[in-house]
Order: sequence, then C-alpha cells, then structure tokens
Amino acid sequence: MIPTSACLLLSAMLFCLGMLGVLLRKNALVIFMSVELMLNAANLAFIGFARQHGNTIGTSGHVSAFFVIAVAAAEAAVGLAIIIALFRTRKTLDVDEVRVMKH
Amino acid sequence: MSASPSLASSMLSTMPASTASLPSFSLLEFQPLLPAAILAVTAMLLMLSEAFSVSKSRSYQAILAAVASVVAGFLAFQNTQLPVGLILDGRGVMDGFSSWITLIACFAAGMSSLLAFGFFRQRNAERGEFYGLLLFSAAGMSLLAVSNEFITLFVNLELMSLATYALAAFWRRSSRSVEAGFKYFILGAFASAILIYGVALLYGATGTTQLDMLHHQLPKALEDTPWLTWPGLILVLAGLSFKIAAVPLHMWTPDVYEGAPTPVTALMSAGIKAAAFVALVRVVLHVGDSSVVFLHLLSFLAAITMVVGNLLAIAQRNVKRMLAYSSIAHAGYILIGVAALFTANHLGNDVGVLSATNVANPTAETLRPMALQGILFYLLSYAITVVGAFGVLAAIEKREDDGAADAWDLNKLSGLATRRPGWALAMALFMFSMGGIPSTIGFLGKLYLFKAGISAGLIGLSVLGVLASAAGMYYYLRVIVYMYMKPSPETEMGARHWSTEFVLAASAVAVVLLGLLPGPLLDWLRQAALFAPN
Repeated sequence: MIPTSACLLLSAMLFCLGMLGVLLRKNALVIFMSVELMLNAANLAFIGFARQHGNTIGTSGHVSAFFVIAVAAAEAAVGLAIIIALFRTRKTLDVDEVRVMKH
Repeated sequence: MSASPSLASSMLSTMPASTASLPSFSLLEFQPLLPAAILAVTAMLLMLSEAFSVSKSRSYQAILAAVASVVAGFLAFQNTQLPVGLILDGRGVMDGFSSWITLIACFAAGMSSLLAFGFFRQRNAERGEFYGLLLFSAAGMSLLAVSNEFITLFVNLELMSLATYALAAFWRRSSRSVEAGFKYFILGAFASAILIYGVALLYGATGTTQLDMLHHQLPKALEDTPWLTWPGLILVLAGLSFKIAAVPLHMWTPDVYEGAPTPVTALMSAGIKAAAFVALVRVVLHVGDSSVVFLHLLSFLAAITMVVGNLLAIAQRNVKRMLAYSSIAHAGYILIGVAALFTANHLGNDVGVLSATNVANPTAETLRPMALQGILFYLLSYAITVVGAFGVLAAIEKREDDGAADAWDLNKLSGLATRRPGWALAMALFMFSMGGIPSTIGFLGKLYLFKAGISAGLIGLSVLGVLASAAGMYYYLRVIVYMYMKPSPETEMGARHWSTEFVLAASAVAVVLLGLLPGPLLDWLRQAALFAPN
C-alpha cells in the first residue's frame, strides 16, 4: 500500500509547482492552469488523508474532493470568459501588458 | 506517518449506526438560510427574464433586485432573534452575528442595484444578468455568514467571489473593467486555492473539517503533527486575509476597486468585506485559543494594515483609488476588534508593545460581546458610509470619462458644492464619517471598536489605530476642500437619476441619524450572540 506520506509529498510538490507557475509565468492561460493545479493538489491531499483516516470519521475527505472539483469547474467557466474578454480588449494574453491602471 | 488498521477497525465497530442514515432536520434549522434562498431564487428569475424578455424596458430588473434585497434583509432582521446553536448537522450555525452580516449583505446588494440602475441606464448597458449576479453574490455572503464547516465555507466563499469576478468585468468593452475582473479573478482564485490546501492539511491533522470539532482536536494536533497543523493554519489565515485585504495581501484592492464599475465597487467594499470578516472571525474564534501566536499575528496584521493603508491613501489623487486604500485601512481597524475577541485567554503572557496588558481584568464572557458589538457596528457603519461615497462617485462619473486617465481625479470634484449642493453635502458627511468626526456613525463605530480594544488590553494597538485614523483625516478633508473651496470647471454634469439620488439621500440620513441616536441599534447589536466554542 502506498503510504500517505508519499501522497502528501506529491500533493505538496504539485501545490508548489502551481504556486510558482502563478507567480512566475506571464501567460494568462498558463497562470490559470497553475491555479487549477493548486486546487488539484488540495484534492490529492484530501483523498490521501481520507484513505488514511478510513471510515472512522465519516466521508468528509472524499466528499470534499468532489466539491473542490465542482468549484474548479465553475471557476473555469467564469475565468475563461474573463480571459476571452481580456484578449478581446488587448489582443494579447501577456499579463505584463495588463496595466492600464497605474497609481 | 501511516494508517493504523487496528485503530481504524476498533473505532469502526463503535461507530454509531445513525451516521449511515439520513439526518432529520427541523424546519427551524432552515430559517437562517431563508434570506439566501430568496436572493438566489430572485437571481435565477432575473437571469431567466433576460432570456425570455419580451418588453424593451428593463427598469423592472433593478427594482426587483432591490425589492428582493429588502425582503431578504427584513427576514434576516427577524432572524437575529433566533436561538443560538448549530444547524444542519453542524455544517451551519444560527446566531445573531450571521443574521446581522446577512442584513449588511442585503443592504449592500439593494443599494448597489439601485446605483446600478441609473449608472447602466446612462450607458445603455442594462442587463438582467448583472442584477442576477449581484444577488447571487449577496446569497453567497449570507450563506458564508452561517457556515461552520470548511467545505461549506469554501463553496459559499466561491459563490460570492465568482459572481463578483464576473461583476467586476461586467462592462466587457471597457479595458479597465476587464482588467479589474481579470486581476481579481486570478488573485482571488489563487487565494482560494491556498485556503483549500490549508483546509486539506488541517483535515489531515485533525480528521475533521467542522470548525467546532476542529476546536477540540486542535491542541492535540498541534502537539502530534505540528508540521501538518501549522502550515494548514497559516495557509487558511493567508487565504482569508486576502479576502479582507489585509496588508501583505492587499495589492489587488486598488486596481480592482478602480477598474470595476462603480456600483460593483460599492458592493465589494460594503458587502464582501463584511462577509469575509465573518469568515475570518469564525475561523479565528475556533483556532485562536490554541496558541498565543495568533494574537501576535492578528495584532501585527492590524497594525501594518492600518498604517500602510492610510499612508498609501494620502499619496492618492485618484478618489476611487484613495477610497480603495482607505478601505484597506478600515480593515485594519476592524482587525483590532478581531484580535480583541480572544485576548482574554492570553492575558498574562508578557510580550511586546502591541500585545495585551491587563487593565480591566476582562474575561471572555464580558469581552466577546463587547468586541463583537464593536466589529458589527463598525461593519454596519462602514457599509452605510462607503455605499454613499461610491454612490457620489457613480453619480458624477460620466460615460465619456471611461478610459480617461484622470477619470476620478480630485479635480472632478472641484466646485461640486456650487453645482450639486446636495451631493456635495452628502459626500462631506460620508468623508466625515469615514474620518471619524463626532455626530456621524463612523465616529461611533471607531469609538466602540477602540473601546473593545482597550478593554481587551490592546492599548498599543488602539493608540496606533487612533493615530492612524487622525492621519487619515488629511485625505478625507482634502476631498471636502476640493468640493467647497475650488472653483468649478465649465464642464457639464452627468444626468441625474432618481435611484441614485435615493441612495445618496438614504445613506446620508442614516449616517447622521444613527450617528446621533444609535441607542436602539446598539441594544440590538449587544444582544447579537455569536456561537462560540466552549
């Protein structure tokens, strides 16, 4: 059986990768993908812990993962729409170009 | 760490059979959800009205949204009298605090839909989905206020936020509005992901996502698995600090507030702030007792948020950005109240200038209602004031100005007193209230908040708060100077609309009336109980 610590390590790595992606990448779509990666890292952690805890404490870990997936889908719907609107006003997805407002 | 099968199976056999069957709920348990239900149903109706609309006129949409907010707000006000307790199997909580926050959310939604009425009419951009999203956001705020479990809290936070991302970018041809929506979305989603990862870690450490159970498990978890619990707590608090715009995580606020359509900015600063604070208060109340570190953390956050928010606002000539920075400063003041909530448990820990000194010998029983009253009154007073202030900006904003670099420059307010004396008077009142001049509601809000801080022994912090708000007077008074003492330019004013005038008049009257006669309101707020772990 795969130990929980391995699950957790993988999810922590995914989370850090997602975080670095948000902070370092310049393309709006890639940044958005990185956010999704972070959400899925949380899912992996939920599932890993839920398996470790077994049925002793109910099923909140498994259920949580479903809710996170649903929220991520809703987020994608709104987010992609905003990114399309952004592309229409700017003709680019480079976030360095998104700076009409300055101090 | 690995699973221990023997422990798991032994606990499995002792598990009560009732967890497998469906729980039964009483009708009373659904009562706190009623305002949210009304808001959500009306939101769906408004969405459908756009799809099946036959009439050319869309005036009914704003009116319908405002009426739904009033009805929901009335129900929320009645709900403040409900008994305190857990509802829906511990997922939610029924208490006066959540009902008052729901009332603030309904107020914000109603007022901003009336502001949007005139605002979008002038721009030929009236759409049903705007009011639908507005009410969905308010429903999310109201449900967020009753959440007592992390997944519930997360889903409702997202309901509120997703609707607001779309609202911020609503004016999709304006590059400013879209930019605001984009920045808000990316940073907000980032913060939500941080929050939910923290929740996952806490779930791993304690085996629960329910706040009251977490409260009992936390001391043990902090000893057994600190490497899991501490990152979890830090990530959760970081995610929530983003939503209230506390200082290291405030960078999104000025851009989003400036770029979003002004009625949406009013909703964000009045409603979202209050709802995010209730989430923070609930989480902090349940985890705060476990370590004195949280007291330090919150005091520190409050201190830098007040100071940095005010300093950045002073440098602003753009009024909308100035109000955005001032909203950061106001979040800092409220954080004093949040820190005061659980200071009583940590008195005697002798630490630093900003920490607690025992002056009035407070106990958790006397301190909590006081701090709570302070926070609620402040949130209410800030909501009333800020809706009015952004209302004035929405009223003087002209369609042609969109995209201009100086659209909200202080000069736009020059000579407002001669051209629109009523608006100028209202704006002056709102500025006085934000700065905390006596006889306005903002003064009383600050008074009760700092009083709670001082009773909690947070003297250094309260003094810093008073000094910071004195410094803040500079930029509030500057607005008044421009309105009353600068010559008016020879440009035309935008058209007037009755709904905008109504919002300005109502907020201005409330600012003065509640500032002079706060008695009944204070009594109600004092009775507002908060469900607290014991």
